[in-house]
Amino acid sequence: MKYIWFISLLSITSLSHAQISDFDEVDFRKADSTALANHGEDLTNLPELSYKLTSNLNTDVERFRSIYRWVCNNIANDYGLYLKNKHKRQRFINDSTRLNTWNNSFRKQLFKKLLKDKRTICTGYAYLVKKLAQFSNIECEIVQGYGRVSTTDIEKLDLPNHSWNAVKLNNKWYLCDPTWASGIPDPETNRFTFQYNDGFFLAEPELFAVNHFPVEDQWWLFDNDVPTFETFLSSPIIYGNAYKNLVLHIAPDRMHHKIKKNDSIIFNYKLKNDIEVNDVQLLIDSGFNTRKIKPISLNIENKFLTLKHLFKSTGFYDVHLYIEDDLISTYTIEVKR
Amino acid sequence: MKTQLTLPQNNISKTLSFICIVMFTLLAFNTSYSQSNSVSSEEATTNERTIKGIVSTDDGPLEGVNVIQKGTRIGVVTNAKGEFTFPAKLKTGDVLVFSYLGFENQSVTIKDDTTFIKMVLTEDLVEMIGALDTAKPYKSKRKKN
Repeated sequence: MKYIWFISLLSITSLSHAQISDFDEVDFRKADSTALANHGEDLTNLPELSYKLTSNLNTDVERFRSIYRWVCNNIANDYGLYLKNKHKRQRFINDSTRLNTWNNSFRKQLFKKLLKDKRTICTGYAYLVKKLAQFSNIECEIVQGYGRVSTTDIEKLDLPNHSWNAVKLNNKWYLCDPTWASGIPDPETNRFTFQYNDGFFLAEPELFAVNHFPVEDQWWLFDNDVPTFETFLSSPIIYGNAYKNLVLHIAPDRMHHKIKKNDSIIFNYKLKNDIEVNDVQLLIDSGFNTRKIKPISLNIENKFLTLKHLFKSTGFYDVHLYIEDDLISTYTIEVKR
Repeated sequence: MKTQLTLPQNNISKTLSFICIVMFTLLAFNTSYSQSNSVSSEEATTNERTIKGIVSTDDGPLEGVNVIQKGTRIGVVTNAKGEFTFPAKLKTGDVLVFSYLGFENQSVTIKDDTTFIKMVLTEDLVEMIGALDTAKPYKSKRKKN
């Protein structure tokens, strides 16, 4: 009889542990190959597509993974639609009636385009992930908010401009960004290119918060206080590759810095993988030239990367952090006498 | 003192064994219940019928709506007039799920007298926005000298 107590206690504790343990032991290869096996399917029968993507998988996290991978690899980002929408939203920013009318007609247009051409913009990705998850009984929500990248006019983010997903797995919410995971526009031609980035799948909420600001506070997934919009706007720029390489971006916590000559700046990160000291570089753009430099001190311990750089000359510098060829983050540093 | 301590423990194990017995009894009841259920569903086969219907939105009939029987892969797609005839015969209590990209999913439970379903789908009122990620390095705007 005592065993029953013991067993029931055990099952309660193991339940609460499942929230912490996350999915390190899960091998996503089967889910990824299921997504690949259905590559090119169309969107005319969503319940059937959801079934095909999930029926051979045993856990919700694998089922969700398969849906997410399929969306990332099959739905293209439509740069033209994005520009058109951005322009109109900006135009009607102070006219809520016209903004509403525009939103309504744009939504119809967008769903038609998604169904016919499998092209869309952020909300279309997030919507499709949610819809397919819903057919497989996985709780998933669209999160609306602000996304901040190197080319957005970052000081002037006024209307929400980005959508992503929150998904409930084993009773715990996680974040992912299918749009940014699917690929990026070619820097030369602005044409969208599929280039899957795994870093945005069930991403670390604290890293996510550096360039995702949800409109509703619950989607920070923070236990404590949430950042203000001002803090968000003053955060450093991080790139898609940051999600591949980092668990946390710790310091510096701001984008712009004003320091005196011979002052130093400390950079601090928690890494996903073990890397070599030689893999890390700072690229400093003074406006006249760009140099790759080795910082004065660089230390990697227990996956924590700390570097320190001394600025000896006055000037205005864009400082980019690289791990191997991956651009991770950018800061500006103004050095005065 | 010692006996006083052991007594509540005995009580607990008694309570637990009672709960166990109750649970097993419930389980046993459950099996017999499901048996009687299957008998009644056999009787109900005579009640199985073809369901037809029409699906529309505020803008009129909607073509291409997926109509599936919940929990199965049996389904049909509405024609240009928004009409469908469900390919399998359905019985009371079966559920049909209507879905179309951009519209909220709707479920209908088949009742004793259901033969024709008129379904109006409502749009998923989601605000469409989108910012792209980029690998372009940030570049400060500098005053030209």
